Amino acid sequence: MAQVTNRLTPFFENITFDRVDNELILNFGPQHPSAHGQLRLMLHLQQEQITKAHPDIGYLHRGMEKMAENMIYNEFMPTTDRMDYIASSSNNYGFALAVEKLIDVEVPRRAKVIRMMLLEINRLMSHLFWLATTALDIGAMTVFLFAFREREYLMDIIEGYCGARLTHAAIRIGGVPLDLQDGFIAQLKDFLDKLPQNIKDYEDLLDTNRVWLMRMEEVGTISTELALSWGCTGPMLRASGVAWDIRKEEPYELYDEVEFNVPYSDKGDNFARYRIYMEEMRESAKILYQTIDMYEETVKNNQTELMAHAPKYISAPKLDIMTQNYSLMQHFVLVTQGMRPPVGEVYVATESPKGELGFFINSQGGPYPYRLKLRAPSFWHTGILTDLLPGHYIPDVVSIIGTTNIVFGEVDR
Amino acid sequence: MRAYVPKDDVQAKAYYTDRYYVAPQVPKSDVSTDEVFSADLEAIKAKFEVIDSFIQMGQMVVYINAKDNYGVLELMRDELKYTQLSEMSAIDWLAKENKFEIFYQMLSMHKRKRIRIKMFIENGQAVNSVEKLFRSADWSEREMFDMFGIEANNHPFMKRILMPYDWQGFPLLKTYPLEGDEFAAWYEVDKIYGKEARDIIGPELRDTSRVDRYDSERFARLGHEVPKGTKITGNEPKTEQSYQEEGGVFLIKKFDKESSVVVDDPQR
Amino acid sequence: MAQHKINYTQDGGLPVALTSIDKIVNWGRSNSLWALTYGLACCGIEMMASGASRFDFDRYGTIFRASPRQADVMIVAGTLTKKHAEFIKRLYDQMTEPRWVISMGSCANTGGMFNTYATVQGADRIIPVDLYLPGCAPRPETLQYGVMLLQKKIRENKAGNAQRPKRLM
Repeated sequence: MAQVTNRLTPFFENITFDRVDNELILNFGPQHPSAHGQLRLMLHLQQEQITKAHPDIGYLHRGMEKMAENMIYNEFMPTTDRMDYIASSSNNYGFALAVEKLIDVEVPRRAKVIRMMLLEINRLMSHLFWLATTALDIGAMTVFLFAFREREYLMDIIEGYCGARLTHAAIRIGGVPLDLQDGFIAQLKDFLDKLPQNIKDYEDLLDTNRVWLMRMEEVGTISTELALSWGCTGPMLRASGVAWDIRKEEPYELYDEVEFNVPYSDKGDNFARYRIYMEEMRESAKILYQTIDMYEETVKNNQTELMAHAPKYISAPKLDIMTQNYSLMQHFVLVTQGMRPPVGEVYVATESPKGELGFFINSQGGPYPYRLKLRAPSFWHTGILTDLLPGHYIPDVVSIIGTTNIVFGEVDR
Repeated sequence: MRAYVPKDDVQAKAYYTDRYYVAPQVPKSDVSTDEVFSADLEAIKAKFEVIDSFIQMGQMVVYINAKDNYGVLELMRDELKYTQLSEMSAIDWLAKENKFEIFYQMLSMHKRKRIRIKMFIENGQAVNSVEKLFRSADWSEREMFDMFGIEANNHPFMKRILMPYDWQGFPLLKTYPLEGDEFAAWYEVDKIYGKEARDIIGPELRDTSRVDRYDSERFARLGHEVPKGTKITGNEPKTEQSYQEEGGVFLIKKFDKESSVVVDDPQR
Repeated sequence: MAQHKINYTQDGGLPVALTSIDKIVNWGRSNSLWALTYGLACCGIEMMASGASRFDFDRYGTIFRASPRQADVMIVAGTLTKKHAEFIKRLYDQMTEPRWVISMGSCANTGGMFNTYATVQGADRIIPVDLYLPGCAPRPETLQYGVMLLQKKIRENKAGNAQRPKRLM
């Protein structure tokens, strides 16, 4: 076997240098341990100060929108897992909700409660992961180990429900496939009871830590105008003075029945974002306690339905498929050919842990979407680095990337 | 003769559609049913030509002329308080009418309303960049160029964003196959090893349903492994998974399954 | 006369151990496999999890290094895209020999579910791979078992200076 030789030239030959002054171009990534994935930044430096930043993305572009055009709707569900892979269920949910709006089905109450539980558990997982990695980037190894420990417990709970740790695919179009397993509520309560103490532990380690404060306070300040102009949403926008949470403003599922606060700050710097993530964890815990009560209420009222009843679009329950001929035929058609939603367009936004996760679907009445646009919040949170980084110093880059909480599966899709 | 395959749309097709099937429509309602939207529409109509408008799924859709896009978005941002451009992209209608449909998804946080501004452009026509109004359009327009080849006039940096700069073809066009064209298939091999390595490395294996008939001989069930080359009969005895060699490892403590602890409660 | 009584049948005969160069070198190599952090996508998160609290990779002598020059094994964790392919080759070339590659997850093995224009159909089209871990994403236990198998593989080989060039395909 002939050994194949490499014809890549040394990399600096690909970059053109304009040597008009002592400006230095620093290439950061695409494989950098603190870039939270495959971000590549071209930084123009004047000594240690950044004068121009040019984020280069696309290193994880896998063509999901193209895949969606070639897949039936249910087939695309596991692909959405790989968008924001820190909180998979929130993507599943966003897609499921968009298709449900399109085909106009109402999800049974019990499924709604279970979905909300999954969403909030995912939010907790995402925020814990954010805390762990950002703290690690800044040098707080202990917080990394602590936060990952708690995240593993949540993963156990999720794994018990859907069998996967990371890529859940736990939500179906029209409901959820399974009821909560035995012990889910007990495990969740056990976790939630310990959570306030855990969050306090992280805060004790970080809030008054000199290094942490120096890297966070007054660094990466985003003004309200800039945040709005760049289409920032979620914690990024709330840290810049706009208390906009889609769960509150355009409530979906049962978010109008639960009570929670939307933490926001008008500082706009890294520290404000850190505080918002911490407060949101507390709010998620609050929501989870309420959903546990709601779930127990549905058990009491004997509302056992988990999938919506819409034979044109959604398969019948397993028992019907196994016993009734017509349901079996319907199921066969739906699996092999896929559902055919009506002709029309829908844009549905949900509040994912990162921000506004939107699904735009253009259906032409066929089993495949004609066009599916994924509006991923991290895409714009990466874009804002262009305007945010100039003026900062090299060490700030890491902490700013950390607090923007970008996930590259979502940025590049 | 080979069967004719249309080249203008190579996306997956439904293999069976009932001849008499008429796809239902998502209901559209008149704009006058919502007072906030009708006020907004009046404001747009006062200055620009509106081709069509309706409310679908609680969001107003307004069709405008392609030349007005900057003006309309400016009006919406400054006077109608639509503060965010959530999303913008294009839809490929080249096969049907040789046009692209461009949509701007706007959000007003003051009114809690979403509007979709839409317009058609001819194939090859450029749009006006709205990057001056919304910074988020900087990257969206680049992505639109990358995926569809639609250029934006007055854009500061009109280059590819998701695909490499030297990429050929526009992936989200309906004429572009999902698995890529000839250029895409050899892109990384050509770039890293050169064209002459194509024969050595070989083509990509893209067939998802491909089954190698030797696979049943090469792979055994986990925990029932047999040496390489053995015929698999399905009655292989259970083999303990071994983490170390038989005689133990030099200077390493022998792994003893009996004395290992299994933790039942992860939250202990 | 020996001052301390030494039981040469315990602890591998320490403090005196007779062994071959191969064994001692392989012992060193296999028990301090430093991995290059090559988290590309979802599998990268599981790779981090296997380095974190519960799974604790340090037990195996595996610590993650950010520089390819300090790393022995590259764990390709995640989808390798065509845009990125060039960089994986560059970083692989920068690793010092002997070097090993673990391809973690379906995407790195074969392209996995992403049968699209933008995805490299298997990292082994670019760099030689020693071990393929199935799963989407593989659990941390899978990765740890994979590392154990790699250790076994290293111990079986001769520790001679010249490493046989690995096949690319």
